[in-house]
Amino acid sequence: MTPERWQQISRIFKSAISLDGEARHVYVAEQCGADDSLRSEVEKLIASHKQASAEEFIGGRAAEKGAVLIIDPDEDDAARGRLNEGQQLGSYVVLKRLGAGGMGEVYLARDSRLDRTVALKVLSADVSSDKRRMQRFRQEARVASTLNQPNILTIFEFGEVDGLTFLATEFIDGETLRDYLHGKQLKLPEVLDIAIQILAALDAAHEARIVHRDIKPENVMIRRRDHVVKVLDFGLAKVTEKKSAIATHRESDLEAATEMKTAPGMLMGTINYMSPEQAQAQTVDERSDIWSTGVMLYEMVTGVMPFSGPTTGHTLVQIIDKEPPPLPKAAAAPAELQRIILKAMAKSAEDRYQTAKDMLIDLRNLRKQLDAGPSTTDDTDLGAKKKRVLVIALVAIAVVTAAIFAVNIWRAQSARSAAVVSTVPMSTPVPVPVSNPQRTLTYWITVQQVRDGEQKTYTVRGEINFEHNDQIRLNLRSPQAGCLYVFNEGPRGGSATPEFNIAFPTPTANNGSSRLNAGQEIRIPDQSWLYFDTQQGIERLWLIFAEDALPELEALKRFASPKTGGLITDPEQNKLVENFLLSHSSSKPEVERGDTLTTVKMPGKVLLHPLMLEHH
Amino acid sequence: MRRTPKQHEITQLLAEWSDGNQSALDELYPLVYDELHRLARGYMSRERKGHTLQTTALINEAYVRLVDQRNVHWANRSHFFAISAQIMRRILIDHARRYAYAKRGGGAQQVSLDEAAVVTSGIGSELIRLDEALKTLAALDPRRSQVVELRYFGGLNNEEIAGVLNVSENTVTRDWNMARAWLYQQLTESAPN
Repeated sequence: MTPERWQQISRIFKSAISLDGEARHVYVAEQCGADDSLRSEVEKLIASHKQASAEEFIGGRAAEKGAVLIIDPDEDDAARGRLNEGQQLGSYVVLKRLGAGGMGEVYLARDSRLDRTVALKVLSADVSSDKRRMQRFRQEARVASTLNQPNILTIFEFGEVDGLTFLATEFIDGETLRDYLHGKQLKLPEVLDIAIQILAALDAAHEARIVHRDIKPENVMIRRRDHVVKVLDFGLAKVTEKKSAIATHRESDLEAATEMKTAPGMLMGTINYMSPEQAQAQTVDERSDIWSTGVMLYEMVTGVMPFSGPTTGHTLVQIIDKEPPPLPKAAAAPAELQRIILKAMAKSAEDRYQTAKDMLIDLRNLRKQLDAGPSTTDDTDLGAKKKRVLVIALVAIAVVTAAIFAVNIWRAQSARSAAVVSTVPMSTPVPVPVSNPQRTLTYWITVQQVRDGEQKTYTVRGEINFEHNDQIRLNLRSPQAGCLYVFNEGPRGGSATPEFNIAFPTPTANNGSSRLNAGQEIRIPDQSWLYFDTQQGIERLWLIFAEDALPELEALKRFASPKTGGLITDPEQNKLVENFLLSHSSSKPEVERGDTLTTVKMPGKVLLHPLMLEHH
Repeated sequence: MRRTPKQHEITQLLAEWSDGNQSALDELYPLVYDELHRLARGYMSRERKGHTLQTTALINEAYVRLVDQRNVHWANRSHFFAISAQIMRRILIDHARRYAYAKRGGGAQQVSLDEAAVVTSGIGSELIRLDEALKTLAALDPRRSQVVELRYFGGLNNEEIAGVLNVSENTVTRDWNMARAWLYQQLTESAPN
């Protein structure tokens, strides 16, 4: 641009921005006359002016923002969010450092409130002092915490303590799909298994009108133990409908495009999964995630990325114009899989799968076709599993017929509830609940011991040490009416996914209902005792007391058989319980201990309290 | 131990530069740079928590420390602020570059220019790109570029900027609007991809 042209633009711009709407338009048109390029320059600048002032672009002072850069990296660990082993951050105790990401350090930590292991992402000071990136984080936390799906990484808390901003999430002991792949081809069943889980996550997100926008192997974790897949990093996610429950910051496509381009983490090598519409900074919807999944599928099958040029520019051109190299006609890629991959990677979004669900169905069907004996493995696994630690003693109640009857009723009621999902609280350091209602629950424990041939029965308020063969019964009541659910979780090490037993409701107790009247006293178990076997450790009894019935949990009553001690034998259902507990654990109940009673209070509509029983 | 430059030495250089002696600036620059940098570092290690740095407070402190108040003309204060804004910009950009370099692992391998732009992230990268755009702007329109420098890097308010540049506050506001819109456009168009 010449200084003369600049002066010309500047003169029109100066007056134009003091005018509104139509008047501005008329003025600019008048001033520019037939010079279309001048008008376009001026209009572009006016648009930038609006954006810049809306975003408060360079609104602060450089030094306030960049001050952190002045700190010597070696000199100041705290500024980089570096913590030592054993160091405490709020209720979290650092166990070890897991690594560093673009945003800061990641630690394995123990949440002392809930006695669980979490991954703690501590944001470096340059991130936490950056409004835009903080916005991303808040967004990630908010978006992901509204999604309660086993294949989406659970976010527990986004908070700030001692000037350090952190994100506490579910800890996955595993590796990213990127590391897992490491340039190798995967076997077909594994490819399908991973792809199906990714699509299940996307299906849930898309159902909630959330587009991930950054699906790539770096954002997919595979848990070592059971190969459960978790999709992470909703930091770039976008809500496609304004009326959605989740409010996003700004919605313009310009912003989306800018964000994609400037977001940290969008480094070299990660553009390979961008859809053609992303590569061209066009409007992006759910079908962009389908494309990215297609690219990953291609890579899993072939071991190479379909679009990968020597430079960013070359890669982008390939994404936009070039068909992917044909898949090798190996056993690993049957014709149907090729069709699915190519359909997901159609250049035009219109030609792709229109929903994650459609692609999911095709993949599941393919898996069914390929499986000789479909999913019998699950059953044999369960049969081999050890009996759970805390079992309900079989004290003379035949409930089989009642159970069958009850299960039929419960199944009828067991439609999945979205209400449960949407109550995930986002918390500040000391989590503050959003709603006014409060739940109250009082409990005490009846203990029956046999010592020296003599049987003793007494009551305690809760957390005490028990010994082998002690028998206990939990007693509960509340001044409020509500629905009660009690799960038992046995001792476990590290981050293993627990198995739960359902202790209440059961087909027999309380006429098979979870609902308690105000002041009603309930005994768990009703007619028998809980006893401890020889495995030592902490047994948790999860007490959940909700204002209304929780359909997801209601459905679990079908497992409440005395034969199995209420062991939940379906891994999916165990995950569901785990996710439920995790997503409701951000707030801490207020616990009052009397001489013989414990009273727990928690704001909100759902009270969650782990009752710890230590066993020696 | 480091030696603090004698107050009168700096005051003298400032006066010479104000009178149009460009070589005085060459001598002044490193002295003010050191002082501002030292103050900023000190400030940051005391005030770690918030990680904020009040530029004007910093420059004022440097001014009081470096310039002999008795022997300096009032207008020199404006000049001092102008040069300090320039220096703050330089300090931040120097650090941003070093930070980006350190993040790449000490520059063990050569990277192409376009790759380097991609690798640097966050504040550092934004500052570097803003600095580049501001240089382009300076070639087109030196005053508007200076308004941004004084405000964004020097922490001056519009009234102070008007004083330094000897223009009206309205002009400063208009210059700022235009410059900001243009810079925004440059930065969003040239965003690394």
